[in-house]
Amino acid sequence: MATPYLKVENLVKRFGPFTALGGVDLEVYPGEVHALLGDNGAGKSTLIKTLAGVHQPTEGQIYIEGKPVKFRSPRDASSAGIGTVYQDLALNQLMSVTRNFFMGRELKSSLGRLRMDEMNQIAHDEMKKIGIDFSDPTQAVGTMSGGQRQTLAIARAIYFGAKVLILDEPTSALGQKQQMGVLKTMMRVRNRGDIAIIFITHNEIHSKLVADRFTFLALGKVIGAGSKETLEGDEIRRLMAGGANLGDLAAELDEVRAEA
Amino acid sequence: MSDRSEADRLQQETWLQRTIRRPEMGAFIVMIVIIVALTWASSGKAFNALGLKNNIQIIAQYGIIAIGAAALMIAGEFDLSIGSMIGFAGMSMALMLKWGLPFGLGEATPLAAFLATLVMTLTFGWIIGNIVVRSGLSSFIVTLAFLFFLRGVTEVAFRLINQSTQVSGLEDFKEDSWVAWIFGGEVFGWFYDAWFWIGQRFVDMGYGRTDQWFTLGGNLNRRGEQWVDGFDARFFWFILLAAVAMFIMNRTQLGNWIYATGDNKEAARANGVPVNRVKIGLFMFTAFCATLFAACQVFENNTSDAAKGNLMELFAIAIAVVGGTLMTGGFGSILGVVFGAITVGLVANAVFFIPEIDGAWFRVFLGAILLAAVFANERIRKRITGGI
Ligand SMILES: Nc1ncnc2c1ncn2[C@@H]1O[C@H](COP(=O)(O)OP(=O)(O)O)[C@@H](O)[C@H]1O
Ligand SMILES: [Mg+2]
Repeated sequence: MATPYLKVENLVKRFGPFTALGGVDLEVYPGEVHALLGDNGAGKSTLIKTLAGVHQPTEGQIYIEGKPVKFRSPRDASSAGIGTVYQDLALNQLMSVTRNFFMGRELKSSLGRLRMDEMNQIAHDEMKKIGIDFSDPTQAVGTMSGGQRQTLAIARAIYFGAKVLILDEPTSALGQKQQMGVLKTMMRVRNRGDIAIIFITHNEIHSKLVADRFTFLALGKVIGAGSKETLEGDEIRRLMAGGANLGDLAAELDEVRAEA
Repeated sequence: MSDRSEADRLQQETWLQRTIRRPEMGAFIVMIVIIVALTWASSGKAFNALGLKNNIQIIAQYGIIAIGAAALMIAGEFDLSIGSMIGFAGMSMALMLKWGLPFGLGEATPLAAFLATLVMTLTFGWIIGNIVVRSGLSSFIVTLAFLFFLRGVTEVAFRLINQSTQVSGLEDFKEDSWVAWIFGGEVFGWFYDAWFWIGQRFVDMGYGRTDQWFTLGGNLNRRGEQWVDGFDARFFWFILLAAVAMFIMNRTQLGNWIYATGDNKEAARANGVPVNRVKIGLFMFTAFCATLFAACQVFENNTSDAAKGNLMELFAIAIAVVGGTLMTGGFGSILGVVFGAITVGLVANAVFFIPEIDGAWFRVFLGAILLAAVFANERIRKRITGGI
């Protein structure tokens, strides 16, 4: 097996007395979709914020291509190739697709002039590569659908050099059809072969559709991990429920029913 | 299974649809209506030689500060201190010209008075900006505080240094200072010369009489010579400021940052836009506009008083809104603000050309058009953001 692009060893993150992450290990490989699953409050967002340089780890080490790194700011992380697409996508609705695509990293010539035609072309081409042919990049983002916005944010992260693309619940706020659109986009990015995707989701079906590797978090710890081949369907479901069997859950519910 | 995609659902707009939907379109139409109505109601007098000069004077005054206010509003903040900043800058320049530079540094040249004042006003702008971005307080309340503070400082300084709240009868620095001249002198004399020359040819050929507005009327003094021979220098500054602001907003990285900051500052920040620096810079820009306004006033009339610039911040904001700037930030156009300044300026002056009307109708009109503009702008915003 190739070396992982990103590796995390024994990552601990405490907020005061509260341990949000209690020693997490993670390996992500280029050309793979790595699903990060877990209940609300499991620590998924804390983990990716640490990877994205928003939080500094309390203990543990992050490695990029085998070399230990330390991210002091989101800028550090993004120059190390970590591209994070947050749930709110960091898009500006009133601005055009192109202006959003290049926000903060505009292509300019003398006097700070924008190279608008070139930027329009790039925005169009990059989005087309991963699935949407958005004919008019001067259109405001507010007029785009949720799935299209997701694609824009992903295309932007890739264009600006993301080698690890972190997607925080990219499908959760979308309708059925758009969810499939985003999954397709993820597969196209995966097929490039040079980018690792960390896919955070609640949705077991979505994760099974696209993921090559799984990590399950519960209460700040990894309760299970493995590749698609090594994990059985039932095992995934059990881990999704935080390690409990569905049968156990049914028994617990019966107890509550009996109390009435 | 059809192979239609999301993107197909977005209707392609024609050039005409696109033009009609531009943010400055409403302001443009209102401006045209006002120009036509005023020409008709004043029998052309509003646009004879003197009328045009007077109209442009007020349009340029409004325009200079409205451009500053609009740029700041696009970045999501307000500045209510503009009027008091004008008063402060006027006071500062007039007192220095009359009583000399502070700390016994000797007599003040117009250049020294202007630069020393600009340093102070830019510093105030910087302080206001820093307070706003660091405290996270609403700029409305922070700049309201500076509205009172600066006006108070202006009056106190007048009384302490000058014993009176006005300075008048300064020498006419325009005579031998180019600095005074570029702020208080006259520009574009060739325009009036050409107009006069053409008019005279018409008269020579027997067409029209000298009292007709489009030939020589309004531009002859008692001795039958050309009377108006240029616009106020502020017209030049207005054009320059508008051109530079338009270029920056539409075509540069800084412009993109300003729009991004006003739209959703967290999104902008996440993408590396220096949101705080953009805002502080724009508070300094409104202070600069106020100083420019004051410099033109002081060097044109060689006077100043403690009430200068009163209420101007509200006119600036009103004009920015009439020009299509969104109160919530992230959207607006400098060209629209120019149209707004022309509209409001013309109506403010209308009473001079149509003496039958009561001058107070101006405020009735401004109130009505402001309300209409707010609703129109909100519709545009809803259309773009899909009604959220
Ligand atoms: N900045 C913070 N300060 C204190 N506690 C936090 C902070 N961020 C997250 N937490 C806590 O850490 C736990 C994990 O949160 P999070 O990573 O957001 O979970 P998930 O994304 O898996 O739902 C939660 O109990 C949350 O309250
Ligand atoms: Mg979360």
